[in-house]
Amino acid sequence: MAGPRALPERVTLLGIRHHGPGSARMVAAALEAVRPELVLVEGPPEADALLAHLPALTPPVAVLLHVEPRRGDSGPGTAGFWPFAEFSPEWQALAWAHRAGVPARFADLPAAVSLSGEDEPEEARAAADPLGELARAAGFDDPERWWEDVVERHASTGPRQLAQAVAEAMTAMREELPEAVDSRTLLREAAMRQAVRRACADVTGDIVVVCGAWHVPALRTLPPASADAALLRGRTRRAVSGTWVPWSHGRLTAGSGYGAGIASPGWYAHLWECAVAGDDAAATTARWFAGVCGVLRGEDLPASTASAVEAVRLADALAALRGRPSPGLSEVSEAALAVLCGGDEVPLRLVHQRLVVGERLGRVGDGVPRSPLAADLERAQRRLRLPPGAEARQVQLDLRTPLHRERSMLLRGLEVLGVPWGRPHERRSPGTFAETWELRWDPGFAVAVAAAARHGTTVAGAADRVLRGQATQARRVAQAAAVLARAVGCELPGAVLAARAALDRCAAAATDAVELLAAVPGLATTVRYGSVRGTDPELLRVALHGLLARGCVGLPLACRGVDDETAERVLVVLDGTHEAVRLAADAGHRDGWRRALLRLVDVRDAHGLPAGRATRLLWESGDLDTGAVAARLHRAVSADDGATAFVAGFLRGSASLLAADARLFGLVDAWLTGLSPERFDDALPLLRRAVAEFSPAERRLLGQRVGSGPAETGGADWDEALAGRITGHLRGLLGVGG
Amino acid sequence: MSSENVLRPAAEQEYAAELAALAAQDDRPRPPRWRMSPRAVVRYVLGGTLPDGTVITPKYVGERRLVEVAVGTLVTDRALLLVGVPGTAKSWLSEHLAAAVSGDSTLVVQGTAGTSEESVRYGWNYARLIAEGPSEAALVPSPVLRGMRTGSVVRVEELTRMPAEVQDSFITVLSEKTLPVPELNTQVRAVPGFTVIATANDRDRGVNQMSSALARRFNTVVLPPPATEDAEVRIVVARAAQLGRALELPAEPPALEEVRRVVRIFRELRGGATSDGRTQLKRPSGSLSTAEAISVVAGGMALAGHFGDGTLGADKLASGLLGAVVKDRVSDTAAWHEYLETVVRERAGWRDLYRACQDLDTSGYAGSGA
Repeated sequence: MAGPRALPERVTLLGIRHHGPGSARMVAAALEAVRPELVLVEGPPEADALLAHLPALTPPVAVLLHVEPRRGDSGPGTAGFWPFAEFSPEWQALAWAHRAGVPARFADLPAAVSLSGEDEPEEARAAADPLGELARAAGFDDPERWWEDVVERHASTGPRQLAQAVAEAMTAMREELPEAVDSRTLLREAAMRQAVRRACADVTGDIVVVCGAWHVPALRTLPPASADAALLRGRTRRAVSGTWVPWSHGRLTAGSGYGAGIASPGWYAHLWECAVAGDDAAATTARWFAGVCGVLRGEDLPASTASAVEAVRLADALAALRGRPSPGLSEVSEAALAVLCGGDEVPLRLVHQRLVVGERLGRVGDGVPRSPLAADLERAQRRLRLPPGAEARQVQLDLRTPLHRERSMLLRGLEVLGVPWGRPHERRSPGTFAETWELRWDPGFAVAVAAAARHGTTVAGAADRVLRGQATQARRVAQAAAVLARAVGCELPGAVLAARAALDRCAAAATDAVELLAAVPGLATTVRYGSVRGTDPELLRVALHGLLARGCVGLPLACRGVDDETAERVLVVLDGTHEAVRLAADAGHRDGWRRALLRLVDVRDAHGLPAGRATRLLWESGDLDTGAVAARLHRAVSADDGATAFVAGFLRGSASLLAADARLFGLVDAWLTGLSPERFDDALPLLRRAVAEFSPAERRLLGQRVGSGPAETGGADWDEALAGRITGHLRGLLGVGG
Repeated sequence: MSSENVLRPAAEQEYAAELAALAAQDDRPRPPRWRMSPRAVVRYVLGGTLPDGTVITPKYVGERRLVEVAVGTLVTDRALLLVGVPGTAKSWLSEHLAAAVSGDSTLVVQGTAGTSEESVRYGWNYARLIAEGPSEAALVPSPVLRGMRTGSVVRVEELTRMPAEVQDSFITVLSEKTLPVPELNTQVRAVPGFTVIATANDRDRGVNQMSSALARRFNTVVLPPPATEDAEVRIVVARAAQLGRALELPAEPPALEEVRRVVRIFRELRGGATSDGRTQLKRPSGSLSTAEAISVVAGGMALAGHFGDGTLGADKLASGLLGAVVKDRVSDTAAWHEYLETVVRERAGWRDLYRACQDLDTSGYAGSGA
């Protein structure tokens, strides 16, 4: 067995800073100088097959690899992504190889292993960005400026010597920080060495390896191949498939959860573009401030060219003050704050978001293979004229036009698939056919789309399957009702039927009337707008009636012997159901609900809160006359406990009603004035507590009402002719006929 | 004028030794008419040790970034505007910058509601004007005009307290660097080195908003209140000791613990929550700046020195605290009492302060604002 030997001369190692434009320049220059026969780039070897699609890509893009789900595996698929920006050295290496017609390969641990492993340990800071650490040690807070001003300017020799210097620095650094090299790093480096060995066997000419600077020392000598092979043997492997997906600058930042993220992709892109255009440091700064002024002007903030000139001068002065040859990101940001933003952080944040990070979105051309689902989604986006954009925008949909209805269906289907591209706006006003959505495409959705691909080949098909699955798994009425609402929203008849069946099943099994009734208001909304969604409203109405019928039976019982907390819940359900019944139920079921309420108010040991509320609801609908209500109020006050609750349930939320409705006011007024002094003393604390829940404004209103004298009975100045004219007008307005 | 017989010597007199040492050991290029290089100015403000061992005391405790932007602005002969709530060392920083850059911090225009255009441009010696007619000799130059002629830094204090039309007379001076004198059919052109440092406060009521034409001509640096309790304690200790020396108070330098208590009370009331973030507090109407904390501590030292045993204790601080917090009789008294009862009383080791504050009858206090 041979000992470790040095890497052959014909292999050039280029240690880079991930997503560093300075490293990208070095790689581009080195490749031009060496003109190798094979290029190895750090990355999962499974992505080799995807390299053929390079010309169809506009960075930022990412390789998306996901583990094929095993049969019967319903959990979310594990997926990983490897992003590339225009200014990434890896991308430049791949692009050069493509231009020069030279084969390129990825060299790293296979994704099959890395994605099957347990949670990735957090990489040590030094290992993640060793060149950045060196720059910080040298007193630079912008590593790319350090590279340009110190490393490149002083390295008068070629790119190979530069790479050599990087390798030496890294060797020293790894000796200093042995604890930053964990077992995972060692494993990855073994895989990289194996790839280098294979490359050496395959070609006889020069080879260039582009990898993170941190790994260079480990690749400079090759230990016996058997040792690396032994290290890599026996790792769990799973089938992996993948594709290219569009990426964005925002997703390149560390804040987005990307481990090797950078803070300022927009600034790096600017540095790279200026370097490619041959700009010097002065032009780079000037161009940046022109962009800053553009952003500020776009927001109607004053930013004159004269101010831009002053900002450039201040940035230069700051760089000189700090002993730096040219302004870095911190200098241009501080100058922008002092000169262009008047010391105000708010516009600077805007600049940061638009320019320093930037919201550039990459593109993946047509020829690149993608899952049938992703292809269907793209077709739908084109057909419905809804291009994905990284910046949030609002769309108004009128569901009566077919195009808008389909858009709504698509967005709802994606919601079901865990791709929240659109968020329905809070102010979804009921009673109209309009919807407001806020659209924002996050490139990370590509992962969810890839994971959802196993459910079906189209958005509708996949959503259908997901909803049917949810329907079969639903155990509670609320769950089933939610599935039903989503299925109706997606207009998937099969899923609607499945959800209906699930609702019936859950309703039959449910023992709690409150749980049943709690689902009624949501379902009523679904019923009312089901017709515009192309679902047979009768089907839904039947479901609603089924729930209502079961709920009505159990309601009086559900109000007996409950604690205050449950009673509060019942109160909410009572109000919601009452409204829903009024809007969506047929006459027969409205009657059933009325009877349920009547039974409830007669149950002697019902909790006062729902009983009081039911009394008022019935009185409002005319089912209980004033005398009966007064009797119940008297009875409540005479009872020892639960009296407060009854009065509270009767009066709560009715302050405006009480002040405006002469009948209700008269009722309460008559009841109060009719109490004997002792009874009044008994009732006083109850009333105070019930009224304490009103807002100060409402209490003031009530006070004025009481102060203005006894209730108007209204009988005397009732003008039948005038009332007739008003109702006639109202009928005309509402279109209900004369 | 020696620094011994004035109450408060100018910065360039008080720190003459430091300025001389910095200038002597400065080998970097200096902009025209600057006494030292920009980097030496930053070091003068932030403190440090020179190669020969001279210790430069820190004048401003805060972010280095802010001082660098301020000095960078002066290098580019742009006008500098220091903005902040009261007591964030705006005037202090402007004085020291002027002293280090021009060696003269006395060219000052004080902004008040009554500041007239003469104090920004020029006035006339009327006896001479009548006797000789308009002439160069009859002209009384303003600090601005003198600064333009000598190429020095001119300070404008409280720019936004000036009437708007007086503020606007700075526009030509700042953009054209000339000041026309139509009476003499001539104009004064500024020589290199001239620039303006203005301070403005964004909290006080009754300020005149700057026109955007003027605002455009300034680079703005916002000075925040001290970021941490420790930084604020350092500032208060250093400044209070300095004041004590200047006033020849017979008291010992303040104990760190007492200063920390004052600073914590100020920070908590200013922020509206206790330092552990657990208790919400009412915010008094005053600004409770670091400068006020300094005067509370210095006032306590004066009390201790002249009427006590020379050591600063809770009883000496209580009345100063009350005067600083309670600016509005009704609402601030409520806030202060609430703070006393909910925070001071419960805090371990603060019993003495609680009792001292209790002893003061709020209705009869004689503190400031009464």
